[in-house]
Amino acid sequence: MPFNILTSRMVEAQVMPGQTLFSQRGAMLAYRGDVRFTPSITGGQGGVRGMIGRRVANEATPLMTVEGQGTVMFGHGGHHVHVIDLVGDTLYVESDRLLAFDGSLRQGTMFLGSQGGVMGMVRGQVTGQGLFTTTLEGHGSAAVMAHGGVLELPIGPGRPVHVDPQAYVAHRGDVRNKLSTAIGWREMVGRGSGEAFQLELSGTGMVYVQASEEKL
Amino acid sequence: MAQFRLQGSRVLAVDLTGDSVKAKNGAMVAYEGEMTFKKRTGGGEGLRGMVTRRLTGEQMAVMEVKGHGTCYFADRASEINLVSLQGEKLYVESSNLLCTDSALRTGTSFTGLRGSAQGNGLFTTTVEGTGQAALVSAGTAVVLRVTPQTPLQVDPGAYIAHTGGLKQHFQAGVNFRALIGESGGESFQIRFEGDGLVYVQPSERNTIGGEV
Repeated sequence: MPFNILTSRMVEAQVMPGQTLFSQRGAMLAYRGDVRFTPSITGGQGGVRGMIGRRVANEATPLMTVEGQGTVMFGHGGHHVHVIDLVGDTLYVESDRLLAFDGSLRQGTMFLGSQGGVMGMVRGQVTGQGLFTTTLEGHGSAAVMAHGGVLELPIGPGRPVHVDPQAYVAHRGDVRNKLSTAIGWREMVGRGSGEAFQLELSGTGMVYVQASEEKL
Repeated sequence: MAQFRLQGSRVLAVDLTGDSVKAKNGAMVAYEGEMTFKKRTGGGEGLRGMVTRRLTGEQMAVMEVKGHGTCYFADRASEINLVSLQGEKLYVESSNLLCTDSALRTGTSFTGLRGSAQGNGLFTTTVEGTGQAALVSAGTAVVLRVTPQTPLQVDPGAYIAHTGGLKQHFQAGVNFRALIGESGGESFQIRFEGDGLVYVQPSERNTIGGEV
């Protein structure tokens, strides 16, 4: 169920019988055909256990289930929308950035500390993401929101990418992240370059960066 | 020479091979390779620059980015415009300047009354030399040519930058209508005369002139 890009801020999804689509509650802009929108009490997949996990992890963005036959247009808050197609790999993204995603994707939450130890936890605090993030795994598409367009930067062995934590949107693949701090005495006396924290992503995969340092 | 490339319209990619660029403080969003970031004070070189900056208030927090690889810059999702300078001087509001080649000299210049209407002081930043600079604008900027036969009037809030030999003065269209609150809402303009280019953004900053 691929998403069609209508404008930089709107996507369209085809809904077929027997297929489900999850979207952020209230993100439907228009639809054609016979489509039903039901608030997803559990906020996605994994039943009650998944729901409790997300509640605990504070990754519970209200979702709705979209079913039926037709085309649905999604957009939210005038943010830019970027479509990511997964081919069996895992996407790591904040739940509030998810506009809509295929029901075929397995949804989970991940403790940031497990991907870089203590620094992963620090990273969560610095990026304002908290300590958990949402994972989507499998074959299908996800539409992710960003402030001001998205840049895709490939990560390869021996080619790590450094990202400003505030501009980080999402990443996929087998990637380790590490928060590197460049805090010297200059930052202490307020003469820093404004780039004191950098997120270093290494391994194999892709990182998505937004053209802005603002939150959604 | 650093290579400036646009990735889409809102991200600037700069390829560095051991050389450096000056950029707005904190504007880096990602980089590949080895980079170092050092804070500098903008608006001129050396002690003289310091004094003029203190006096003019045209302060710009600048960092020097040096290294090997590609550095990506962006500023609050603003559109980015590349300007190639061949020895001429670019006048630009410091808030609209994102990144300049280190080969370019930056300074401040007195603009007269225009600044007071824009609410950003009487001074503006100048960039001079040969190399590339990147400007940010709210929306895609248009470049308007000014010739001796065709002067140009610009809303102070929409003005970003200009190059060439231009004389500018401030004109007020305030008449009795404005005073009794029946004005057209466009009471102040900057008039450019001479030969050069003016960069205008399709959006207006809040200026004192906008209140009248």
